[in-house]
Amino acid sequence: MHLTQIPMLFAQMATPDDIVREAARLQRNYEFLSYGLTVAWLILVIYVLFLVSRGRKLKREIASLKSMLEDRR
Amino acid sequence: MKDKLLYLLGIVAMLILVRDINVIARLPNEVNQGAIFKIIFFHVPVAITAMFAAAVALIASVLFLITRNFRYDALAVGVTEVGLAFLAANLVTGSIWGRIIWGQWWAWDARLTSALVCWILYAAYLMLRRAVEEPTQRATFAAVWSIFSFIDVPIVIFSIKWWRTQHPQPVFWGGGSIPHEWFAIAGWNLLAMVLLGTVLTVVRVRLEDAQRELDSLRRTAHAM
Repeated sequence: MHLTQIPMLFAQMATPDDIVREAARLQRNYEFLSYGLTVAWLILVIYVLFLVSRGRKLKREIASLKSMLEDRR
Repeated sequence: MKDKLLYLLGIVAMLILVRDINVIARLPNEVNQGAIFKIIFFHVPVAITAMFAAAVALIASVLFLITRNFRYDALAVGVTEVGLAFLAANLVTGSIWGRIIWGQWWAWDARLTSALVCWILYAAYLMLRRAVEEPTQRATFAAVWSIFSFIDVPIVIFSIKWWRTQHPQPVFWGGGSIPHEWFAIAGWNLLAMVLLGTVLTVVRVRLEDAQRELDSLRRTAHAM
């Protein structure tokens, strides 16, 4: 039996209450799936932003130290 | 690594991920678990990438102790930090999945606990680096800690075989009953994660090089 046939069979046998419950379960499932994916992407984006800001700060500090050393020489 | 190649790898990784998200969204829901099951296509690849990162950190740490070349130390810290981000994503996606399937956010079973311990060990590695000022001493301590931390990695991987856990047995590459075409999607996602991890590691290694240059400039300024 194909996976997509299951909901059709279920719809033929279930009461209206069962269908409402199943719809709520599916909705909750999708909600949590979207939370999971959002959090995973958020971790990645925050890490990339952290790398970018750290890179900029290091570049600034290196440039200022280099110019300070040039002045001293 | 050249900038163009780095951008290319990043773009390829993002394209594969976007394509996979599109493919995964069109897949039918799993019979017992419903839509939440699709989280497996991210949960498993990020876990494998994190474990792979730990293995690279181990090799780089051993090479540093043998050669005393700071390039290996930079690679170890870069790949550890990136691996930590991937392991965090793995723990969070697993927890969200568990909330739906088990009815709880967390279970203190061998797989979850060993993965959390792994995350703490590698977080401690990064904290240790901040605590030691002298560069050679810092790199040596960190390399030894990284080798010690790796002991937990096989425990994470084989915990589901060695002990009875709430975490299920592997469904990919472990005798599970997943449809064949889903393997390919997981494989492509894994490739994308590994590429993304590689790009981030190279960027992080460059930052470490810049940090070393800054430290050296500071020492010069201090000596003048």
